Amino acid sequence: MILRGTLAIWQRDMLILRRSIFSELLAVVAYPLTMYLAFGIGMQSYIGLVDGTPYGLFIAPGLITMTAVNAAYNESVWSLWFHRRVQFTIESYRVTPISVSEIVIAKICTGFTHGIIKGVAVGVVIFAITPFRFPLEHLFYYLLFLIPASAFFSCAGIISGTVMDKPETIGKVEAVLVMPLIFMSGLFFPLSSYPTDVIPWVKLLPTTALFEGARRALVAGEVQSVYLLQVVLSALFTFIAAVVIFRRKMSE
Amino acid sequence: MRWQLRAVPCMESTETMPAAAIIIRSLTKVYGSLTALDHFDLEVVQGSIFGLLGPNGAGKTTLIRILTTLMRQSSGTAVIEGFDSLRDGREIRRRIGVVSQENSLDRYLTARENLELHARLHGLAKRQYQPRIDHLLELMGLSGRQKDFPDTFSGGMQRRLVIARALVHQPQVLFLDEPTTGLDPQSRRAVWEYIRSLAGSMTIFLTTHYLEEAEQLCDRIAIMDHGRLIALGSTQELKDRLSGATVYEIEFAGQSADQYARLLADMSCVIGISRAERSVTVTLECWECLSEIVTALNGAAIRRISLKERTLEDVFISLTGEKVRE
Repeated sequence: MILRGTLAIWQRDMLILRRSIFSELLAVVAYPLTMYLAFGIGMQSYIGLVDGTPYGLFIAPGLITMTAVNAAYNESVWSLWFHRRVQFTIESYRVTPISVSEIVIAKICTGFTHGIIKGVAVGVVIFAITPFRFPLEHLFYYLLFLIPASAFFSCAGIISGTVMDKPETIGKVEAVLVMPLIFMSGLFFPLSSYPTDVIPWVKLLPTTALFEGARRALVAGEVQSVYLLQVVLSALFTFIAAVVIFRRKMSE
Repeated sequence: MRWQLRAVPCMESTETMPAAAIIIRSLTKVYGSLTALDHFDLEVVQGSIFGLLGPNGAGKTTLIRILTTLMRQSSGTAVIEGFDSLRDGREIRRRIGVVSQENSLDRYLTARENLELHARLHGLAKRQYQPRIDHLLELMGLSGRQKDFPDTFSGGMQRRLVIARALVHQPQVLFLDEPTTGLDPQSRRAVWEYIRSLAGSMTIFLTTHYLEEAEQLCDRIAIMDHGRLIALGSTQELKDRLSGATVYEIEFAGQSADQYARLLADMSCVIGISRAERSVTVTLECWECLSEIVTALNGAAIRRISLKERTLEDVFISLTGEKVRE
C-alpha cells in the first residue's frame, strides 16, 4: 500500500498540533493534574498504602495512561467527525488519488501521536511535582502498554467518529462507555475492592489489562504478558474494525 | 483497465469526430426503492464545457458522485478519460479536479497550505507544485491573501480558492458542482470568467441551478429529470426543439384586444393564444404563419408586433414541469 496520502494528512494534522501545542498541553495537563492533586495528595493521608504502594504512586501511572488514551480517543473521534460532517475535508481527500485506507490510517496515526505526546507531557509534570522516580527500564516496559493503548483508543475514536453523525451522540458515548471503562478498571482503586465474583469479568476488559498492566510495568517493572497481549490484540482488532467500518461508511 | 478512446458520434454536427472525455452507458443507481439514475447515457467531448441541468432530486449529484468515484453505480458503465469508474478509481482521480457544492476548505490551513496539501495528496514534488501554486494564486487574485485562513475570506474568494485547489494538479477533467451557488452577481461573474479562461485546456463538467450560467458558459447542455436524460444539445438547439413554435406579442393602439383575440383564435395556424387588456400573445406553428396573421388583422390599429424569444428557462420548465420539487 502506498502511504503517501497517510503521510500528507498526518503532516497536516501535526502542523495544526504544532500551532496550538501550548494551549493543547495546558488544557490536557490541567485535568489529570487536578485529579492527582485532589486524590493523590488530598486522599494520600487517609488511604496511605494500596497493596504496599503509596496511594500517590498507585494512581500516577493510571492518570498518565488515562490522559494518553483520552487524548487519542478525543482527537480521533472529533477530528474525524469534524472533517467528515462539518468541514467536508474527508470528501476533498477522497477525490485525490489516495485510498480510503490511507485516510483512516492517517487519522489513527494522528490520534496515536496526540495520545503519546499528551501522555508524556502529563508524565513529566507528575514526576516533576512528586518524589517518585523510576528506573529507565520501567519506563520502557510502561511504553510497551502505552503505545498499543493509544493506538487502541485512537481506533475506537475513529469508529465512533465514523458511525456517529451527531455530536451529542459522541458526547453520550464518551460519558456512558469510555469514561466508565476507564474509571472502573482500577484507575483509583485496586481490583481487589470488587466482589470476588466480579473480578474475573472486570479482568476481561481491555482497559483493566491496560491500567493494571501499565501500573505494574511502571511501578514494579513487571510485564504481565497476558495483559500486554490483551491490549495489543484489542488494538489490532479495533484497527481492523476501524479500517473496515470507515471504508464501508465511505462507500455508502 | 484503460479503455480505447474512440471518435464519438454524439456531436452530430462535427465533421472530425472529437474524442470523448466522459462516456456514460446505461448508468443506473438504486437506493432501496428509489432509482436515482435510470439507464443514463451521455458523452462529453474533450475540451468542451458541458452543463448538466435538472430540478432538485433529478439525480445530478448522484451522477457527479459516481463520475468522481465517490460512489459506485448499481449497474452500467462510466468511463472518464478512458478509465472505468469501477476498476480504475485511482487513475480517474489522478486526472480529475472536483469543485463540490460545499467549499470543503480546511479552515485550519492557510490558503496556500490548502493548495500544498492537495498537491501532496496528488503526489507532486515541492519543486513542481510551488510555482504552480504561485501561478494559480495569481490567476485567482489571491496572492496577497495566501497566508490568510479561508474563514477570513468572502464567499467569492473561498470559491476561487476551491477552484484553484481543484486545478493544482492540472486535471484533464474539471467537475464543478454548482460552483456559484450563494455568490453575489459580481463574484458569480468573476467565477464565470475563470471558467471561461480554462475553456479548451480541459473538459469542464458543470452542474448548476442558474440557467443563465449554463447559457453563458456551456457548449452543450443536458437536462435530466427522474434520473433520466431528457434533452441534450446546445442552448440554441434546445430552444429550437421547444415544439418549433414561435411566439409573438401583438399590441393594439387605443382599442380592446378582445375582438382580435377571437379572430386569431379561430385561425388554424395559431396553436395558442393569451390576451391582456391591449395585447394578444399568439403561439404560431411556424414563423411563416406571421404573414397570415398580419393579413387577418388588416385595418387594425397595431402598435407593435414583437417576437418573444424562448429562453433556456422556458425549455427547462417545459421539460421538467412547473411543480416545485421537494
